[in-house]
Amino acid sequence: MALTLTCPVCGKRNGYEFRYGGEDKGPKPDGFGLTPDAWCEYVHMNRCVAGIQKEWWCHKDGCGVWFTTHRDTLKNLEVEASS
Amino acid sequence: MTDMKRRSPVVFPFEIKKTEPWEHWTVVTEYKSEREDLWIVDLSHRPRWDIQNNALSDLKPLDFAIPDTPGQCRLEKGVLINRMNRTQASFWQLTGERFEMPDDAAFTDTTDGTLFLAMVGREVPLVAEKLSALDFLDPTTTSPRLFQGPFAHVPCQMVLVDKSDDKPGILLTCSRGYAKDMVAAIMQAGREFTLKPAGQTAFNRWVESLT
Repeated sequence: MALTLTCPVCGKRNGYEFRYGGEDKGPKPDGFGLTPDAWCEYVHMNRCVAGIQKEWWCHKDGCGVWFTTHRDTLKNLEVEASS
Repeated sequence: MTDMKRRSPVVFPFEIKKTEPWEHWTVVTEYKSEREDLWIVDLSHRPRWDIQNNALSDLKPLDFAIPDTPGQCRLEKGVLINRMNRTQASFWQLTGERFEMPDDAAFTDTTDGTLFLAMVGREVPLVAEKLSALDFLDPTTTSPRLFQGPFAHVPCQMVLVDKSDDKPGILLTCSRGYAKDMVAAIMQAGREFTLKPAGQTAFNRWVESLT
């Protein structure tokens, strides 16, 4: 297990301390005029990027904070946002 | 409820010299073969609260200020307040009489649900590093400092209270259900340094020496 993640409170920690929270899909769509299809798309469909994607993680064994970070899914490594 | 009895989840297999009743707990104040320079003490009877609020910095529980930055701790008049994250802090009453918990939804009493231990002595960081990947000897950190992460694979809150070379100390809380295995793991790791239990009296003396 090579994955380490950088918690904004505790710093860089072993990946086993974290819980994956899914892809970052942006803010929840506005409920007004939202169709079931659009809601289904937002909730269930993922982009599954082969490369760098922005994700939600929770430091469940530490401070409990939810945060977003970028991970290269091909290498399973946390990366800088610009790389 | 006068005959209510509260039990610590921790039992050290060492001979007890003195106990005293406190708030329905039987507290060990002294063990027969205590060491002066390296010891572990069961503090599970000491009151602990969790404080959770969106505007945590505006709260001043019993006139104690909550630190601003996550990871920071404040030790004052026998009370240790640890900032866990943006919305949570923990309030540990280490010595003295028990404070009444404020009647506010932000406060939760966690005393009965958690284990509370303290380890004091020069070899304490060496014992700790056998059980955790957390870096208690990081020269860039100042004490007191809160660490949140696995210790013996159990999610814990740990506070490095004093990082002096002479008598550093680590306080540790985790879920009560892990108590037996946590104590067994610490005693096993501390065997090579002859880690021994001590009573509340030794702990009180140590806390007094810090302030």
